Amino acid sequence: MARHSEHSLGSEFFIWDLPTRLFHWVLVIGVAVALYTGFLAPASWLGIHLFAGYAIAVLIVFRLVWWKFGFEYSRLAALVAAIRRLPQFLPALIRLKPPHSAGHNPAGSAMIALLIATLSLIVVTGFMVEGGQEKQGVLAGVLDYAAGSTARNLHSLSANLLLGLIAVHLAGVAVETVLQRTPLVRGMISGRLPLPLHVVNPAPRPARPLAAAFILSAIAVAAAPAALALLRLPARGVPSAPLNLAYATECGACHNAFHPSLLPRQSWAAIMAHLGDHFGEDASLSPATAAGIAAYLDRNAAEAWDTEPANRLRSVAAAEPLRITAAPYWIRKHAGIGAATFAAAPIKSKTNCAACHGDATTGRFDDQAIAIPPTQAKGP
Amino acid sequence: MTSRLLFVALLIPAIGVAALASAGRDGIVSALSAQAKQDNSKFTSFSAEAGKKFWFTAHVGGKSDTPSCVTCHTKDARTMGQTRAGKAIDPMAVSANPNRFTDPEKVAKWFGRNCNTVLGRECTAEEKGNVITYLMSQ
Ligand code: HEC
Ligand code: HEC
Ligand code: HEC
Repeated sequence: MARHSEHSLGSEFFIWDLPTRLFHWVLVIGVAVALYTGFLAPASWLGIHLFAGYAIAVLIVFRLVWWKFGFEYSRLAALVAAIRRLPQFLPALIRLKPPHSAGHNPAGSAMIALLIATLSLIVVTGFMVEGGQEKQGVLAGVLDYAAGSTARNLHSLSANLLLGLIAVHLAGVAVETVLQRTPLVRGMISGRLPLPLHVVNPAPRPARPLAAAFILSAIAVAAAPAALALLRLPARGVPSAPLNLAYATECGACHNAFHPSLLPRQSWAAIMAHLGDHFGEDASLSPATAAGIAAYLDRNAAEAWDTEPANRLRSVAAAEPLRITAAPYWIRKHAGIGAATFAAAPIKSKTNCAACHGDATTGRFDDQAIAIPPTQAKGP
Repeated sequence: MTSRLLFVALLIPAIGVAALASAGRDGIVSALSAQAKQDNSKFTSFSAEAGKKFWFTAHVGGKSDTPSCVTCHTKDARTMGQTRAGKAIDPMAVSANPNRFTDPEKVAKWFGRNCNTVLGRECTAEEKGNVITYLMSQ
């Protein structure tokens, strides 16, 4: 690793230790995956997005520790010192004559600080969205949907900010590579950069990988039981009981029994009050059975739960308040699916939630459980 | 020897269930028959032929989406039907589905609903008995 003897090879100097270089390139991959799955991929890719997010979280924790124990130019002290030189550096940069720097130049250092801060914000808010809105992960037992929603706004805001920062970071690398003929990308691969002797630190502090490993292990040992304890908490406001048997049988005869959390109380009450004329059919029940089902639906309606569908489907369409499939949120989420897909076997109807949502009967509707089955077009 | 005993031991409950099912069906049909006689003194017995006609007729008076029993139960009672919401319905023919018409409450509930949906009125005991007789013959 970063031993003193490796410092200079002719006019090339050893700047980036191996852990820092690995950190950089693995982070590039992680961020690329997270951005793609966050902005472009279908919702069902959430699992990959979360995996990338966890990886980035671990990388950031490593990097914070390596700020203390890395080789000279990987240290926080070097970063701060460089940022302090910003007032002299910027005017020189504007004259297109920036001085050489070993390690990140002052503008680059400021960018690194911004990138790490933004990534940390994205990761923290990501955990909050995962817990509060998706009811998954370590914060599912702690945060409610409202907290998850606030976090989601910050999460998207900071992700957009990150896109901007990445663009400026790449532009900065290009500028320095061209103006100073310093091959920064190659340097981040080999660790060595050609530099004038006078900018290189004559007494670089060596890396202390053992100390870093010790601190990282200590963090892992402290964090694991906390995470496990959090994971053991039941998810907040998530239904766990199976569907009531009478409800599942009676209201599952003509279509799949919809989870009660998918409509507000008022809608269920109206449906139960007019079973004799139910969407163009007579679905009447004996008064005793109907009363039991009505009470079950009232206890378990959208207002009683804190899942994403329960929160979003509380707002029904004014014109068709009895239909889940008419709610603005439902329509928005399924706008990309054509009528032909819904009509094709084995789906056959918008109301066949379970055909595409593996967890429809639980009311969770996790993104990872979404899979549109292969369909055959309707026969003649 | 033991395997034959086992076979008999398994056969008895199997026959028992089948017998129970047909007993349930017979009870439903005889109750309908008694009701039909009460409604119409000239009633003699149920007709599979009349049941078939009723089953296939496009009725008026009910909902326009569901003119006939075969709208959902399909023209071949031995195959799976489909509700308007796309859910599969088990075959109605007793040969294909021996559990049909064995639970009086279920039979009453669905005749009540489906007759209202298709015809806009209740079915008479004679119509119900004819339909069951037809579907028992399928
Ligand atoms: C006799 C058949 C039948 C029974 C029994 C039945 N439904 Fe329905 N239901 C329908 C039909 C048909 C539709 C309309 C489906 C469509 O448009 O695709 C419907 C639609 C619905 C919808 C709206 C679905 C949407 O588009 O969002 C809800 C909610 C619903 N039913 C609830 C119930 C409840 C609660 C019960 C039990 C008390 C019940 N249903 C029993 C036939 C039935
Ligand atoms: C043809 C398949 C299909 C059917 C049927 C279907 N959905 Fe979906 N649903 C999807 C897809 C695909 C998505 C993800 C859309 C996206 O990428 O944002 C989705 C998204 C959702 C979401 C949002 C999940 C989230 O966390 O982002 C909810 C809630 C939902 N569906 C509820 C329902 C309900 C309730 C029904 C039945 C009334 C239903 N869906 C029927 C395919 C289907
Ligand atoms: C809108 C669709 C639809 C129509 C139209 C319809 N049915 Fe049904 N029917 C059903 C469904 C769904 C069931 C219950 C499914 C099951 O038991 O497998 C059912 C069940 C029944 C049963 C109960 C069977 C049993 O096992 O006891 C009877 C009897 C019945 N239907 C008669 C009729 C008659 C007679 C007509 C025409 C007047 C008719 N149905 C029209 C959907 C329909």
